[in-house]
Amino acid sequence: MATVVAMVAVLVLYPMYYLFQAALDVGLPDTRPPTAYGVANFAKLLDYPTVLWNTLVVTCAATLLALLFGFISAWILTRTNVPFRRTLDQLMTVPYYVTPLLGALAWSLLGAPESGFINQVWRKFFGTEALIDITSPMGIAWVMALFEGSVAYVMISAVMQSMDPALEEASAVMGGSRWRTMWRITLPLVAPGVLGAAIFVFAEMLGSFSVALVLGTPARFYVITTAIYHFVSQYPPRIALAAAMGASLFAVMFAMLWLYRWLTSRNSFVTVSGKAFRPRVMDMGPLRWVLFAVVALYVLASAALPVATLLFAALQKLAVAFPAASNFTLDHFRQAFSINAVRTAMLNSIMLAMVTATIGVIMTGLLSWIILRSRLPGRGVLEYLAMFPQAVPRIVFAFGMMWAWLVFPLPVYGTFWVLLIAYLTVFMPLGVRTISGVVLQLDKSLDECGQVCGASWWYRMRTITAPLLRPGLLAAWLLIFVASVRELGASILLMGPDSKVMTPAIVEAWFSSSSELTAAMALIQTVVITATMVVFGLFTRRLAQRAVSAP
Amino acid sequence: MTTTMSNPAPAIEVENLCIRYGGVTAVENVSFIAAGGEQLTLLGPSGCGKTSTLRAVAGLETPTSGAIRIGGQTVYDNRAGVNVRTEQRGMSMVFQSYAIWPHMTVFENVAYGLRVRKHGGAALADKVRHALDLVKMGQYAGRNASALSGGQQQRVALARAVAFSPSVILFDEPLSNLDAKLRSEMRIELRELQRRLGVTSLYVTHDLEEALAMSDRVVVMRAGAVEQSGTPADIYDLPRTAFVADFVGSANLVSGDVVASDADRGTVAIRTKDGLVVHGVTHGRRVEQAGTISIRTVHLSLAAERPAGEVNVWPVQIMRSVFLGDVMQVHVLWGAQELVIRRIGAPLNIGGEAAFLHAPPERCALLEASG
Amino acid sequence: MLEPTTRRRVLKGGLAMAAMPVAGALLSDRLAAQGRPVTKVHDFNTAADIAKAEAEGEFTFYSHDSEPAIAGILDAFNKDFPKIKGKYVRAQNSTLFTRTIAERSANKFGADVIQFSEPATALDFQKRGGYSRYVSPQSEFYAPEHLSNPVGDYFWVGVTFVGLAYNTEKVKPEDAPKEWKDILKPVWANGANVKMSNSGMQFVQWYELRKLYGDKFWGEFAKLKPRGFDSRAQQFERLAKGDERICVLAEYAGYLLVKDKGAPVEFVAPADGLPASPLLCGVADRGSSPEAARLFIDWQMSPRGQNHQQTNPYLYYGSVRKDAPPMPGGKRLADYKLLSPTKEMDAFVASRDAFNKEWNAMLGL
Repeated sequence: MATVVAMVAVLVLYPMYYLFQAALDVGLPDTRPPTAYGVANFAKLLDYPTVLWNTLVVTCAATLLALLFGFISAWILTRTNVPFRRTLDQLMTVPYYVTPLLGALAWSLLGAPESGFINQVWRKFFGTEALIDITSPMGIAWVMALFEGSVAYVMISAVMQSMDPALEEASAVMGGSRWRTMWRITLPLVAPGVLGAAIFVFAEMLGSFSVALVLGTPARFYVITTAIYHFVSQYPPRIALAAAMGASLFAVMFAMLWLYRWLTSRNSFVTVSGKAFRPRVMDMGPLRWVLFAVVALYVLASAALPVATLLFAALQKLAVAFPAASNFTLDHFRQAFSINAVRTAMLNSIMLAMVTATIGVIMTGLLSWIILRSRLPGRGVLEYLAMFPQAVPRIVFAFGMMWAWLVFPLPVYGTFWVLLIAYLTVFMPLGVRTISGVVLQLDKSLDECGQVCGASWWYRMRTITAPLLRPGLLAAWLLIFVASVRELGASILLMGPDSKVMTPAIVEAWFSSSSELTAAMALIQTVVITATMVVFGLFTRRLAQRAVSAP
Repeated sequence: MTTTMSNPAPAIEVENLCIRYGGVTAVENVSFIAAGGEQLTLLGPSGCGKTSTLRAVAGLETPTSGAIRIGGQTVYDNRAGVNVRTEQRGMSMVFQSYAIWPHMTVFENVAYGLRVRKHGGAALADKVRHALDLVKMGQYAGRNASALSGGQQQRVALARAVAFSPSVILFDEPLSNLDAKLRSEMRIELRELQRRLGVTSLYVTHDLEEALAMSDRVVVMRAGAVEQSGTPADIYDLPRTAFVADFVGSANLVSGDVVASDADRGTVAIRTKDGLVVHGVTHGRRVEQAGTISIRTVHLSLAAERPAGEVNVWPVQIMRSVFLGDVMQVHVLWGAQELVIRRIGAPLNIGGEAAFLHAPPERCALLEASG
Repeated sequence: MLEPTTRRRVLKGGLAMAAMPVAGALLSDRLAAQGRPVTKVHDFNTAADIAKAEAEGEFTFYSHDSEPAIAGILDAFNKDFPKIKGKYVRAQNSTLFTRTIAERSANKFGADVIQFSEPATALDFQKRGGYSRYVSPQSEFYAPEHLSNPVGDYFWVGVTFVGLAYNTEKVKPEDAPKEWKDILKPVWANGANVKMSNSGMQFVQWYELRKLYGDKFWGEFAKLKPRGFDSRAQQFERLAKGDERICVLAEYAGYLLVKDKGAPVEFVAPADGLPASPLLCGVADRGSSPEAARLFIDWQMSPRGQNHQQTNPYLYYGSVRKDAPPMPGGKRLADYKLLSPTKEMDAFVASRDAFNKEWNAMLGL
């Protein structure tokens, strides 16, 4: 047990140590270990009030928008009789798979103030002003909310489903109208849960990187995460300043998540009995088709529109809204396939994702089991350690890793190993969260009965626990696989010539070549990943359906 | 399947068991012995510690102190530092939620314990079929276990528990999730099964009828301690404390000062605050200055006129009658106290409110002095 | 706009970047002293051990260029030498330098061949012992000022130069900038793009125009809030789509590429001169594929490699090889008035910090 805790602690805390060491380094630059320590770097943060202000504005706006989308969607899909509810609910997860990077690329093509398609169309019909500016703070917040806000929907609908419908029924029986019930009973009861979701989403948005990178940089608009990236890539690189920014951001995120845990562990007045209730569904009459359109529009804006835009752009020599016939070409796709980097990067990404997901599931599965089901001492500490990386923005974590593993005696830096280690560490919370959810649903007595029948721990794990956890484990595998392929913040700093991976390669292409070529690369990635997932889905469906006939 | 005289089923001995969780004491100094081949039931309201005790015997909970021995072998003793793991204690258990594994067939569920013990092939199939036949679930062997009803799952859980011929079976409220009719049927079947197999059973329930119907001995628990242990008849006829008296069947409790007692004949008389005198029996219990007498509701009778030549006859006022189907429950005012009478059969043939209450002295039991 | 030049002008003006004094022994002596057999492969001489190079099978090329550009070079090389595969690491000039130095200080040597986009960086790298000296038989085709001193560390694989460019749909020809001073006009506020401070070419332009127009020149320009980018591909794409109206660091190579795609962009060569920078390529020390690296350098220096530099649309660099053909469009480097700091390297290198400070501040970070 002590070894497990030690291993997890090393994975998680080793980079943090180096992060703080760099942040407190006020001695000679370029010398390691630091020659002097101090807090002067944190004072330098005040030289960048615009960056701090930008971060605040964008994060708040994105959180509000995400909550708005999430609340409305959750309400419509759990409390009304909107048609095709099941399908819509499943479609709500698609934006997660589209990835914020793709969304940012597409919306950059759609909404750039001069060259954006939407603006070109607007100008053609309505005059000379641009309709939208996607590079403005509101534009960036819009894209962030669309693609990184799907977690808001999941959390809020969980809150909606954890409320006992009898509470509303009592109001109705006493004569309360539908609206009165909603205002006086429902909203106050879900408010604490929604507040918790708000804090969580806020913390996530703080660490957002890809959208601000693609949309903000060309407009000289920096938030803390992109500022860190630029400080590190600048010449000369300002490591200490970047580290100080990273450490500060981490502190804020940590505080927010701590606040979230505190809020949700208190007994709110929503009765949470561990079961999901089926909430009362309001009959909206013909209005329900309008609601259907609202949700469908959201799904379209976040899933179908970006892909279509990228396709439209990738097929043109120079992407415009009203292309002449001669502007169409397949050259970009041809080139994308021929660039060795694309082929290698894609293969690397898939292989790395498979290895990460497999090791990750085993690792987080064991961790979840130890935390929830064992009676070993120190499992509380283990839980905190395992969930710790959630409080660290990916790029900050990668910065610490880069700084840490560069001095590691084994030649790990610049290889796949450092990427694998980074991924396993930053996805630990995701894996532990997902698998814990499944473990909690498992009736303890199923395992205890095996104990009483005389089966050893390993025998029980093999014959009872693992088969019952299998659907959950497969779901976790898929989540980690997708998260691994779409990872940007950590990979962009840790990638080496031998270890190119897809998403940072797309970003690099965007910075160093045309957006049409980048669009082609992004589309190819999407198609390949989707195909992999479909194959995987079919394969696992067969596995899950086979009943275990003999242990 | 039956144990022979040369291999009697082992006894379960629990000695001074204490279980504490943090600041909460679940079980305090509980001791009992379940003799080989008998069924001992732990009876009590929820929270009394009976389930914790059972799980400690199984090894699923680790007690704070005390000792547990199965057939003379110590499986837990905190002073000797012994704590045998659950899977090595060699017992069997039926869970309240049945704990049927949904991803296996009925056959595989029942076969589990046998496979763990490295049985296989035709012998294993035989044993499984035998166990399933015992609970009349033979034709469901190939069915997927998650497709069964509650009652069927319960039977499979039972078959699983007996399949590998254990000598000790633990039951954790196995019938509490069934409806009333099914419960009374299963009660009888379980008892028959246990007798036939000759195993030692430790049974936990909060249901009084279950405990009285099935057990050889009953241990009544409250708030982590043992209130009384004995045969069902003892518990019923000779309750030690007010709690037992009221929990096991319904009883009226009357308290008062002792006005007369006779140690040789084992009688006692008390006078209540209202000046009413009740004659009762001591059952060898110590007589002090004050005492409480328990009278079962079914032992009281009402008459329109004073029965002649009896002690323990008092005029009472009928307050209300409640029709409960099999019994009639009548509430009367006796002095300043309300008493409850239950009687079977014909409605009360008393016009008006005044009546005479009679309690046979031998049915009025003196409770143990508290303190 | 473009003055016809005579040979004398060539010697006086731009291309006489003879800041590198040639000292010591003759080239042929150095070649002999190297003790390597010279063989002919395809149509050029090489002193690399081809068999060993093919046994190594691969090498890593660190470069500042765009990904399609690097990929193109490595593909062309691979066509001539199918058994040798090239991998690459791409980063803008200064970032590349910093990363490489950091790696080397941690005892990791990933680069076999390394290319920088301006001379101060190469000199710094040379000072730190980053190059592995290899005298190529191709060196005789290069003027001494286009090779390192001493010969064999790096060479001028190409020359890139910058002028101005503007979007013809957004800017009327009479409003178009014609001289460098025109970029200071307030009308270009929020409509100009440049490169970031880690670009070698940008450093050169900053230095040269500051020399011409005084220290306050760039401060004035900063008031227009220009936007900075990582690559010329990005700059020209935005210019072509109208996201900016003028490109202040307009590399001729980038202009040609985007013009091929039919973009509404025009190039302007101001009369005061065009800042230019050589691109410097050399074998890095302690790489894992030294022979492949040497073969690659020979190939790059050979007519094949130089032809590729001049004609690949992602490169379009001018060649300084003595027998190089004209660039596409018929022009030669000598036809332009080029400004370069190669005569005053010390002052140039010393101004790096001032450049970084001013340029980073100008771009908002």
